[in-house]
Amino acid sequence: MAKELSTAGFRVVVLEQGPWRHEKDFTHDEISVMYRCGLTNDFRKQPNTFRKTPAEAAKLQPAVEYGRMVGGGSVHFTSNYWRFHPEDFRERSALGAVPGADLRDWPIAYDDLEPYYTKAEWDLGISGRGGSNPFDGPRTKPYPLPPMPVKSSGVLFDRAAKKLGLNPFPAPVAVLSRPYRGRPACVHCGFCESFGCEVGAKSSTLAALIPEAVKTGRCEIRPNSYVRKIEIGADRRIRGVIYFDAAGREVFQRAKAVVLSANGAETPRLLLMSKSNAFPQGLANSNGNVGKYLMFDNGALALGLFDHPLNEYKSIVVTRVLHDYYRSDPKRGFYGGGGLDSRFDYYPAGFALDGMPRDMPQWGSDWKRAVGQYYTHMMGVLAHSSCLAVEQNSISLDDTVKDAWGLPALRVTFQNHPDDMKTIQFLAERQKEILETAGARKVWFDPVSLEEATYSRHLMGTCRMGDDPRSSVVDRWNRAHDVPNLFVLDGSSLVTCGRQQPTATIQALAYRAADHIRQAASRGEI
Amino acid sequence: MSITRREWMLAAACWSEVLRAQTRQFAFFDPATASEIEAIACQIIPDDDTPGARQAGVIWFIDGALAGYDSDKRELYKLGFAETQAKRAQMFPGSTRIAGLASGQQIALLKAIEKTEFFQQVRRHAVLGFLGHPQYGGNRGMAGWKLIGIEHQMQYQPPFGYYDAAASESGSK
Repeated sequence: MAKELSTAGFRVVVLEQGPWRHEKDFTHDEISVMYRCGLTNDFRKQPNTFRKTPAEAAKLQPAVEYGRMVGGGSVHFTSNYWRFHPEDFRERSALGAVPGADLRDWPIAYDDLEPYYTKAEWDLGISGRGGSNPFDGPRTKPYPLPPMPVKSSGVLFDRAAKKLGLNPFPAPVAVLSRPYRGRPACVHCGFCESFGCEVGAKSSTLAALIPEAVKTGRCEIRPNSYVRKIEIGADRRIRGVIYFDAAGREVFQRAKAVVLSANGAETPRLLLMSKSNAFPQGLANSNGNVGKYLMFDNGALALGLFDHPLNEYKSIVVTRVLHDYYRSDPKRGFYGGGGLDSRFDYYPAGFALDGMPRDMPQWGSDWKRAVGQYYTHMMGVLAHSSCLAVEQNSISLDDTVKDAWGLPALRVTFQNHPDDMKTIQFLAERQKEILETAGARKVWFDPVSLEEATYSRHLMGTCRMGDDPRSSVVDRWNRAHDVPNLFVLDGSSLVTCGRQQPTATIQALAYRAADHIRQAASRGEI
Repeated sequence: MSITRREWMLAAACWSEVLRAQTRQFAFFDPATASEIEAIACQIIPDDDTPGARQAGVIWFIDGALAGYDSDKRELYKLGFAETQAKRAQMFPGSTRIAGLASGQQIALLKAIEKTEFFQQVRRHAVLGFLGHPQYGGNRGMAGWKLIGIEHQMQYQPPFGYYDAAASESGSK
């Protein structure tokens, strides 16, 4: 968005609560990144509370994780880059209502978004083989880069899936398989998921787009700037925002328009904190829908042990994917589906702590020996499964807990719909099948991933997009129904969550909205 | 319960780290507590046919963590440590410290407390100190990374493992 608008001639200020890091600031340090919130929100400074239902008292318990830096989640994500399928945009029409959930069609179709998926793929640099996924929608251009080299996990997954009559394909990933637009190809260092790329080969907005924006001379990046309120004037339009700078001082930044991209948890929180006489329930929240319909990241992780070394600690996380179980099939008797990928995303300490089969001892000599044998001989199959939008699953402001800046903490209310759990179980059987067919000597599950979700890195649905201002927060251009100069571009506008992996769709929506902003501004309509 | 020679050597090995501490100061622990915590860590990740918690210097990692970024875990350590000592005294009357127990006794004690938050925290710290980056004082000589068989290079080239190597060979024929 910053790049699109600044290259189009607009003056842009990017306010980011986290720091502005560069390649040299990233490390291979598991302790810092995985255990000290090196790149993510720190629960100790920014606590949240959690409850399953509004009837429960919310308790302090980490429930959301997001990239807290310039470039956001695109810096530390695993790099899976899946387009939504055409069916994702009209599941309600195709499948009917789901009791206990609010399944809706999107106001836009895949075809509306296709040019922007393509634009994002070429702008960022995505590696993959267009047309290799038989379930994908039509595309106007192939990927700009060929697939990444297949890993042992990909070979085993591919072989087993084909034996089962399925259609595996090379994973589309936001990692450069070859040099592209001045950035180098991946060096296969193995620190992709959760880490920032030290060579700039991960196609984050930080590496691929922010430099373009800054180069225009019209985009100023202001890191360590934590926005606490969006201010409106007497005309119910935004005048600007108030933020805390790095020293904790309050600063007012005037703005003709605001694009809010704080993620599916912080975006509704900021809107709810931005109360005014005109919007006593929070900005853009005249219908009370801001924060509702929160969708989480579902899917179990199956693990398999093999005879020969796979050395999955090298290179990117995912090299093969299948979408055969993606579509919701009424014959299964429940809503939902998912994509599966071959992967291994444990780092050494995390693996020793949580990755070993739970039917084995978890400390002592036998455990230690097994950890030594297993680490290089394993792979996983992860399900990325659907999550239904349920009204009471939400982001709201906690009544008592405050963050380190004295602002109300996030309160997360979330409980999976029963169909989500059935989908997770259904896919778990498929995952097991694949690993066994691949010849795994032992197959087990990360037990936490089979339970109801209480924690998510994908935060979606909390400012739903729709044509009807009574039942949605933003319109089909990601513009707030209530506030003409407010746009929301992150996971929160998603009407459904597809099958997780929302990054490509969020970015395509951003390119599309940027086009719209440009055109609307030239007509004087912002 | 008699002590085997191996157990005796392991106990002695754990002590040697504490002796070393007399020349290098702990930032958080007193030496007596350090030797007790290290005895626990040495049962979680034993120094057996390959280096374990002692040789990897795990106690130095734990000390640094409690002195620094994990200082909010101090209370848990304090309470858990006291409870574990009480459990030791109850299970092994006449004993004075964990490090002084025979290896089998230490294991019995830790099995009795393995569900506690304290044990889980020490386990977490021990594993981080064994397999985390050596810059935090643990994983000396990359003992942990050697155990799990990683090379720890900045870059790699395909093939990465046995199966992709075999596939590319059969594919190129």
